[in-house]
Amino acid sequence: MRIIVPVKQTLDPRGITVRRDKERIFVNQEEYILEPGSKAAIEAALRLVESAPEAAGGAELVALCVGKAQADDALREALAMGCDSAYLLCDKAFEEADVGVTARVLAAAVEKLGGADLVITGRESGDTGAGQTGPRLAEALGMAQITDVYNASIEEGGLRAVRRWGEGYCAVLARLPAVLTVAPRAFPPRYPHGARIMNAYREWQVTTWGAEELGLDEGALSPLLSFRRESFPPPLQVGEQFEGDPAGMAQDILAALRAQKIVR
Amino acid sequence: MDLRLSEDQSMFKRMFADFCAKEIRPHGEHIDQAEEPPVELLNKAVDQGFWAALVPETMDGCGLDVYTYTLMLEEIGRADMSTAVTLAMHNSLVVKPLLDHGTGEQRDRFVAGLAMGELLGAFALTEPGAGSDAASLRTAAVRDGDSYRLTGSKVWVGNGGLAGLFLVFARSAGGITAFLVERGTRGLTVGYREKTLGLRGVSFNTLYFDDACVPADQRLGEEGKGLDIAQQALNYSRLGLGAIALGACERSLEEAVRFSMDHIQFSVPIAQKQIIQNYVANAKVSIEAMRGLVTHTAWLADTGQDFSQHASITKLFAGHTAFEVTNKLLQVHGGYGYMKEYAIERYYRDCRALEIIAGTSQIQQYLIARHIYRAEGLEIRP
Amino acid sequence: MDFSFPKEYQLFRRVVREICDTEIKPLAKKIDREHEVPSELVRKLASLGLMGVPFPQTYGGMGGGETGYCILAEELGRVCSSTTTVVGAHIGIAAMSIHLDGTERQKQKYLIPLAQGKHIGAFGLTEAAAGSDAAAIKTTAVRDGNEFVINGTKVFITNGDIADTIVIMAVTDSSLGAYGGITAFIVETASPGFSIGSLENKMGIRGSSTAECVLQDVRVPKENVLGRFGAGFLTFMKSLDIGRASLGAGCLGGAQAAMEASIAWSKLREQFGVPVATKQAVHFMISEMFVDIEALRSLVYRTAWLIDTHQPHIMEAAACKLFGSEVAGRCSNKALQIHGALGYSRDCEIERGWRDQRITEIYEGTNEIQRIVIAANLFRPYGVRIPT
Repeated sequence: MRIIVPVKQTLDPRGITVRRDKERIFVNQEEYILEPGSKAAIEAALRLVESAPEAAGGAELVALCVGKAQADDALREALAMGCDSAYLLCDKAFEEADVGVTARVLAAAVEKLGGADLVITGRESGDTGAGQTGPRLAEALGMAQITDVYNASIEEGGLRAVRRWGEGYCAVLARLPAVLTVAPRAFPPRYPHGARIMNAYREWQVTTWGAEELGLDEGALSPLLSFRRESFPPPLQVGEQFEGDPAGMAQDILAALRAQKIVR
Repeated sequence: MDLRLSEDQSMFKRMFADFCAKEIRPHGEHIDQAEEPPVELLNKAVDQGFWAALVPETMDGCGLDVYTYTLMLEEIGRADMSTAVTLAMHNSLVVKPLLDHGTGEQRDRFVAGLAMGELLGAFALTEPGAGSDAASLRTAAVRDGDSYRLTGSKVWVGNGGLAGLFLVFARSAGGITAFLVERGTRGLTVGYREKTLGLRGVSFNTLYFDDACVPADQRLGEEGKGLDIAQQALNYSRLGLGAIALGACERSLEEAVRFSMDHIQFSVPIAQKQIIQNYVANAKVSIEAMRGLVTHTAWLADTGQDFSQHASITKLFAGHTAFEVTNKLLQVHGGYGYMKEYAIERYYRDCRALEIIAGTSQIQQYLIARHIYRAEGLEIRP
Repeated sequence: MDFSFPKEYQLFRRVVREICDTEIKPLAKKIDREHEVPSELVRKLASLGLMGVPFPQTYGGMGGGETGYCILAEELGRVCSSTTTVVGAHIGIAAMSIHLDGTERQKQKYLIPLAQGKHIGAFGLTEAAAGSDAAAIKTTAVRDGNEFVINGTKVFITNGDIADTIVIMAVTDSSLGAYGGITAFIVETASPGFSIGSLENKMGIRGSSTAECVLQDVRVPKENVLGRFGAGFLTFMKSLDIGRASLGAGCLGGAQAAMEASIAWSKLREQFGVPVATKQAVHFMISEMFVDIEALRSLVYRTAWLIDTHQPHIMEAAACKLFGSEVAGRCSNKALQIHGALGYSRDCEIERGWRDQRITEIYEGTNEIQRIVIAANLFRPYGVRIPT
């Protein structure tokens, strides 16, 4: 069974100060980390394999990362945590990537590896918080997708996952292959064993693939989104409070919505 | 200039030494381990006059001069520092201010109890936001007819858990003012006892004043004179701590010398090793320097001179030096110095407090520098 | 010249720091109060390979060398000296002596479970009359057929009461003195005749046990002689010499923690209308801490490099221990002063650090002994013998 875990390297938020009054984010210490959502995804994959070793039968965990050369460190950490192999998808052509491009690059890598039974990502990353990689990847690969997963197990014929649904949870059964995005809170990542940390740098390899190896042309790598600027959301305004009996309040609220042209 | 002890002073010193060696010293380890104020010992000490050291004979006290008072504290410090600090705070910070600033009526009311072991004194100045910056204290004293209502909290009140009489500093309409507050006053709660690194036989407590009602005739001195009273009391306290440090260092040296003679390594007592001899010699130098300062400062006090500068100098020197001395003498003991059966272990912890209580070493430095620059016409800020 | 740590060590440090902050730091006060490092904590560290950091992976270790071990010691020292001591005695002198001088068979039988943390190790050298003068030990080991019979009492033994394996120094020929008359033995504490006497009541590192170990007709097979017969003195000196570097690392962590706490407190605490950090007396103390710490950091990791590259390191390791313990002492003392009365209270972590660090100037060779070691090595090329 092959489980592919796309991981991301991000700035360590502990080295960042957000100053609303100066409308700026200050990077006091530029340190990079393996994104916590990614670590949760690796943890989820490891638990899946451990919980059903016979069903997983010789499972292979592969970590993928679209990033700059320094993202090698994130992949080494993935190896230390328990991945069997790691691929850095790195190319100058990927530098302007938006979420769509990233998903296409990952999909190309998955196909180059010969497909996967499961692809597991974090639900969203701490920096952009977009949460799109998993679903876009599922579309690109034509796989079922289950997002915001709190629990998963290999069952007869496929996978059973418990996901957030409104205020509660629901259980979903899926045939493999499938893409899961996991809730970081539900999969606190294990600490890597010391020997694996040593070996991740000394014994094991990270393979690098660029646009050419992945067979991606300019078209596939053109982003649809361009970054213009970043700003802080406007401060939360104290809203208007309505009082009175329910029917009266409903009339008042309707009048206010009409006045703001939110409804006609 | 004759630095010899007078006959009286020699007699007192001998008495103090005998009592402390026999009654207090054997209990030092237990006091520290059990973290119990030595109530029995303190009671026994009443008959020795330890609670009435500075009370004039005309008021049935010991009438000791300041120098003999320091001899007393030195001996108690030699035997056990928790006991010494407890009695020093009582005498220096409560009995003495009452004697110096109290009305006849106040003295009649409280001195006997303080002297006879019925009332232990405690000094309540420090607050959570007013430590080194004592003058920024916030406890309020509002005049209400023939009483004051006190509201606020005090922390690190030495003897707080045992005291019968508190000297409390609060801000009234006229400024910072001193008050004599009895235990059991409605609105006064004695709270949390600090768990300390050393001086574990001393009870340091938090006090809460919730509209506590203090009779106006228990105001000590005039409104606004509180800081002056506190400063003068602290002079005695600082000198007293210097004397205790002296006793503590002498005890530590005694312990180290004996250990180094008994402990054989490399076929000889370690006393034969040059470095051990150097540690011992250096400790002796420090002790004698400390003795000089204590003696001089006590003489200034006994001759009616201003001794505040010297009290700070003594306290600064004693705090720093006691740490250095006990640290090195602990090292003489090797691994044994780290074990609680050896007295040096607790003397090292106890002495560490001396750089903090009664004004940190940094505050003493400020006070000493301020005095120097003031003489030159410059006011320096803390 | 590249002063950066290789990447595997950077990742290792990050992971260990997270483990220390999350799993150990919240327990530190309790460990001190209840005099015990919980066995679940030790098991957790073992499960992550941390009880065998310097040893080769082929012997159940992590393959981290002395550098990796110093990183572990530093990070542990930053949060809990008791844990540092338990782990340090286990790795640094007990298992280390088997790593340095053990036969293949001994490594298979004893080093592997120690490195994996399945067994706990202790080092039994000191006796009541043999502290600095380690060669004056009186414990005897007498040959009896294929065994040795050991009799004696060891004191101040870290982990003595929780160890499975203890390396014991004993006199095998009292006529030969230190060189030739002392032999090291690997002893299983489950052996009949091995018992624990008293446990010391200490000022600090109260979570680590300091035990009296009594050996009464304890029999060990002759295969358990560690190192050359009669060369026990060399065996234990080798182990102590290396152990000192990591002690410096533990002190480095403790000093670092004291400085960080001082910075945090002094910017928070206001007196005279300003943060006390703005007072020269305070920030000067902190600056001095920084200088001490940086100097120690360079010393420790350069020494670790010397050890890992098999270069001479005896003086440097002794310097790590000597300087490190004094730095830890200065930093913890300054930190206490900066915290004022709070620093004197057991509600504050600083107070515990002050008590914990005091032993570092004493154990594993007092700082006086370290000075003698350094002097002896400095003067040896000139033919001047420095006596103890």
